[in-house]
Amino acid sequence: MFGRKRKLDDFSAEIEAHLKLEFERQRALGLSEEEARAAAQRAFGNVMQAKERFYESGRWLWLDHFWQDVRYGARTLRKSPGFTAVAVITLALGIGANTAIFSMVDTLMFRPLPIGHPEEVVFLCLPRDATHFDSGFSGPEFRQIREQSSAVFSDVGAMIMGGLLGGIGRSDGLTVEGTTKPVQALFVTGDFFQMLGIRPYLGRLILPSEGKTPGADPVVVLSYLYWKARFQGDPGVIGKAAFVNGHPVTIVGVAPKGFLGPTPIFEMEAYLPLGMRTVETGEDTAFLTDVSTRDLFIIGRVARGVSIEGANAVLGALGQRLAKQYRRVGVSTLLQAKPLRPPGIIDGSNPFPALAGLFLTLAGVVFGLACLNVANLSLVRAVGRGREMAVRAALGGKRARLVRQLLSETMLLALLGTPAGILASTLALRAITSVAPASDLPLVFEFPFNARVFVFALSIAIVAIAIVGIIPAVRASSGNLSKILHEGGRTSTARSQRTRTALVAVQVGGSLALLIVAGLFARSLKNAQHADLGFDPRNVLNMSFDPAEIGYGQAQGAEFYNRLLTQVRGLPGVQSASLAMVVPLGDTVQGDQVSVLGYVAQQGEQLRAEYNAVSTEYFKTMKIAVLRGRNFLDSDTESSRRVAIVNEAMAERFWPGADPIGRTFKRDGDSAHIIEIIGEVRNSRTADPYSPCGPLFYIPNTQCYSSVQTLQVRTAGEPQAATPLVLAVARGIAPTAPILSVRTMTNAVSNGANGLLFFHLGAELTAALGLLGLTLAVVGIYGVMAYAVGQRSQEIGVRIALGAQSKNILWMISRQGLVIIGIGLGLGLLVAVGVGQLVGNFLVGVAPTDPFTYLGVSVLLSLVALGACFIPARRAMRVDPMIALRYE
Amino acid sequence: MSTQKDNEKLELLQGTLDLLILRTLIFGPHHGQGIARAIQETSDEELLVEHGALYPALQRLEERGWISAKWGTSSNNRKARFYTLTAAGHKQLVKETTKWRRLAKAIARILGSEAAGG
Repeated sequence: MFGRKRKLDDFSAEIEAHLKLEFERQRALGLSEEEARAAAQRAFGNVMQAKERFYESGRWLWLDHFWQDVRYGARTLRKSPGFTAVAVITLALGIGANTAIFSMVDTLMFRPLPIGHPEEVVFLCLPRDATHFDSGFSGPEFRQIREQSSAVFSDVGAMIMGGLLGGIGRSDGLTVEGTTKPVQALFVTGDFFQMLGIRPYLGRLILPSEGKTPGADPVVVLSYLYWKARFQGDPGVIGKAAFVNGHPVTIVGVAPKGFLGPTPIFEMEAYLPLGMRTVETGEDTAFLTDVSTRDLFIIGRVARGVSIEGANAVLGALGQRLAKQYRRVGVSTLLQAKPLRPPGIIDGSNPFPALAGLFLTLAGVVFGLACLNVANLSLVRAVGRGREMAVRAALGGKRARLVRQLLSETMLLALLGTPAGILASTLALRAITSVAPASDLPLVFEFPFNARVFVFALSIAIVAIAIVGIIPAVRASSGNLSKILHEGGRTSTARSQRTRTALVAVQVGGSLALLIVAGLFARSLKNAQHADLGFDPRNVLNMSFDPAEIGYGQAQGAEFYNRLLTQVRGLPGVQSASLAMVVPLGDTVQGDQVSVLGYVAQQGEQLRAEYNAVSTEYFKTMKIAVLRGRNFLDSDTESSRRVAIVNEAMAERFWPGADPIGRTFKRDGDSAHIIEIIGEVRNSRTADPYSPCGPLFYIPNTQCYSSVQTLQVRTAGEPQAATPLVLAVARGIAPTAPILSVRTMTNAVSNGANGLLFFHLGAELTAALGLLGLTLAVVGIYGVMAYAVGQRSQEIGVRIALGAQSKNILWMISRQGLVIIGIGLGLGLLVAVGVGQLVGNFLVGVAPTDPFTYLGVSVLLSLVALGACFIPARRAMRVDPMIALRYE
Repeated sequence: MSTQKDNEKLELLQGTLDLLILRTLIFGPHHGQGIARAIQETSDEELLVEHGALYPALQRLEERGWISAKWGTSSNNRKARFYTLTAAGHKQLVKETTKWRRLAKAIARILGSEAAGG
């Protein structure tokens, strides 16, 4: 133990010496030996007291007491393993749920990017309205901003996201040793890494001298995770020759561990110098030179001593000059710097704070329930130990010391609960991260455990100690000692019984609120699942390709897709097959501005429509009903007349009440051609399963080439069974072409981020929290009822002896339970209405105050709670009056 | 030594024990029993010092660094813990003595002739 200044032994020796010296002095004065000893003792006074006072003046006394308390607490806890186990598990679940959810929220919202001084790093944008902004800039705009903002920025860099995230309908492939695999690329200016202040894990990063010239500096830096996953962390890949989309490059380094790029949700897997974007655009260098091609995101680091507000003042003036010079329309000219922090650059309203608020609230409720539960259990024990406490107080135990002892017992529980809670949350996080979103995007669905979260869990545990420990401790020590001693601690329980009843009622209320939220989410999921999608996802296999990853141009690519389609249609069990640029409820939707002759736009009305480039047989494969006109045919080729098939919403929007067939329109992406409408099909969902369908037109994939296309195969039986056959066909045509993804359409809808993924996650997460809450409430009710029956067994015995019927006893006990449940339900409904305010935005087809859910869940909870009452009540009915009366 | 006589002895005022210990140690190192005896004898047996009460005071003084202690041998060849006045203790003694004198004088002045006559 920690060294005390002076040992007690040494002090005892000194007193011994003192007594001897005094004894000798008295002897010298002529007293007999016995008299001398007595005189020395008398002169000294109480030796024990002196020693005690010495002991207590020791600096580490509190620590001694603390250890005593801890040892004592450990002993008592060991003596009641049942209580200890329930309390620790309860705390662990409470702490676990909170830690898991906080880990998620931390990753998605708070954890700063792993870069130097992340608070100084910003991205630039021009606001369109309160929540939307334009963050794309042209090369000339970027260079002008860089030159004219040196007063407020120490570095300004730019980047372009490649691949699917780039939104130009293509992906990127990295070929090493003949094998091509998809890679999410980020094209960056040379000073990008220097600006972020990060160092390579291996090799080097992009150099400041690189990236200025199109096609020059053919180097690639891999991300740590990509390097680990694809090359098993082999340092030998550095310096290797490779190809990106068929263009030769050299792998020069690996980015630091933990760095995912400028956003924590998507992982950038390969970094190339900005000028190398020609691996995607070919000869086209507009992204660097053209004033109206606004592909660049601008990232900057504010200079030391400059605040973001200060920077914005300077940028405002710069923005006005830019707007005038480059004719930007539809945006505010107030160029703005916004902090680059999780969840990244989000144009539009950010759903994360609301989601985080909701789930932290729910987890908080669960945590509160867990605390109440432990408090309740401790209270039961504290009252049961009232006699022990009273005896100890009567023997001179100071009250503060008794309270401290109870507190240290609870602290031990919390200490045991913390590692158990961390274990529970690790398991919970593993369950959450095991969710596999059906997405081709480099989504990182990982919520690692970190120090911050650990501290959070620990501080939660400490709060738990305070909440859980103080209530029973105060109660136990404030009892009337002599009364407790005389009455055996039995009759003085009325007040504590009331307290426990109140605690359990609150528990019932909390768990009702949790269950109602879970019920709302479940209903919402059910609504989304049963939504009419407008197409039939069953028995469809999706397989996505991008032959551009191995350097195929349009002619080669179109040839590849043609042969693929022809051969797959000939496979056994295939009913129909088609190709599409985008998959409904997939990662992206394509949209374009349209102009319709004769349609006059309202003030501020955007003439936008979604579109999809599809092959023949598309509507047959997807089972989208053709309402009028014709399907696409093989005769619709690149050189024939441009044609389109529109959905109902598009027809209604531009030609209300009229037949759209034969009408024409233009789209900005292909403004040289007039497009004639040849058919109309039913509305179908594209972006999500519930929003009203907007205008959408289909064009033949022969008239709008996309290198990323998804082959969709409708099979007679299980679609997965066709996978090996289809794969063999694809490999036969282009052995080295990578396959982006293979999944059934059902899975794509169910687990797609734009499909039902978040409905599933929301429903499952709230259901887990709701069940946790319900379990805690049941344990609480059962505990209180069982204890009450135990305490009243003598009374019950008397009643039975005096002729009370079983049903009277049952009623007597159940009444108490009913009161608890009734109060709890009332409380819970109030809380649920409050929490309902938080969930409204995440529900589909169900109001946050949906009476059906409220009623159903209340009935369910009441039944379960009554069940928990029934077991102790039945025990009460069977009380043997003789035994109960003889017991005292 | 009768209890009667003991009762007539003066009880020490709060805080004066520290001063007396420091004062006693001015003549050289002493052990606990020696200090107790010295206080009693120099006060002509007027002051009552319970020997046991001495030790918390010694403990306190030692902690504050006014006295230091080490084990040694007494004149009659007994092992004992000897206390020595430190420089800081000396300073403290001077300070406390001055304070005590002023206090005593002030009290004497207030009590005046009455005390003298009594």
